[in-house]
Amino acid sequence: MAISVDSPEQSSDLSRKAGYTFPILSDPNAEVIKRYDLLHVGGSPNHTDISRPAEFLLDSSGTVRWVNFTEDIRVRAKADDMLAAAKGLP
Amino acid sequence: MSQPSPALALRRSNRAIWIGVIFVLLGVLSNFLYFIHLPGQAVFPWLGLSLPAVGLALLLLGVRRAFAPAQMSRNVAGSMLFGQPQVYRGKIVGPILTVIGALVFGLSAWGFLHARAIPASKHAPQIGEKAPDFTLVNTSGQSVSLAELLSTPIDTASGKAPKGVLLIFYRGWW
Repeated sequence: MAISVDSPEQSSDLSRKAGYTFPILSDPNAEVIKRYDLLHVGGSPNHTDISRPAEFLLDSSGTVRWVNFTEDIRVRAKADDMLAAAKGLP
Repeated sequence: MSQPSPALALRRSNRAIWIGVIFVLLGVLSNFLYFIHLPGQAVFPWLGLSLPAVGLALLLLGVRRAFAPAQMSRNVAGSMLFGQPQVYRGKIVGPILTVIGALVFGLSAWGFLHARAIPASKHAPQIGEKAPDFTLVNTSGQSVSLAELLSTPIDTASGKAPKGVLLIFYRGWW
């Protein structure tokens, strides 16, 4: 599932255009993004606060089993890496 | 057709300038690597920074050569016959390409610093910790909580809770 500060409408557009079937959640006030300590203050080109890229794989109890915090916004977690991590879940 | 000037013919081609240009161009092209499905992405930013840096260094070397006075022993004939003090070519094209190379390097360095100026997220959930629960709206405007996502079966036929949940926080399109 994906989370950003985008509105549900923007996320819906993205989902439809890209053909995504996973849920996309909106955190317009970055409340959850702050709770997860991922706020990138003034990070967007128009200097609004956004989420930094980060990925968490949780097991069925909600415990983090795998994380990825990129050092460079151009370098993102690969789908293969995330799938491999997911396959390792009990 | 005009004959090439004998003075120019005597001067050596300034290869450092052209190799520098190739490095700068490779640096620009390396930005497209992110769009190709390739492993080892973490090194791409370093390529994007170092290729133009090497290119600029070679360009500066080439320009220095182009403007360096000839040593008598090296080009004694040229200096005496034509009064040409330079051994290497590239007095005009060198500075132009070096300015372009410097601009490319400047942009690459700015992009490098900008792309890596992201918060450290020291207090983000780490491996072994419980991810904090939350409730957010999905694209249909419905509230969804993490607890629900962890317990609601995806495969309704089996009725089993999912093995896990992958949370992807992304920058968004604003």
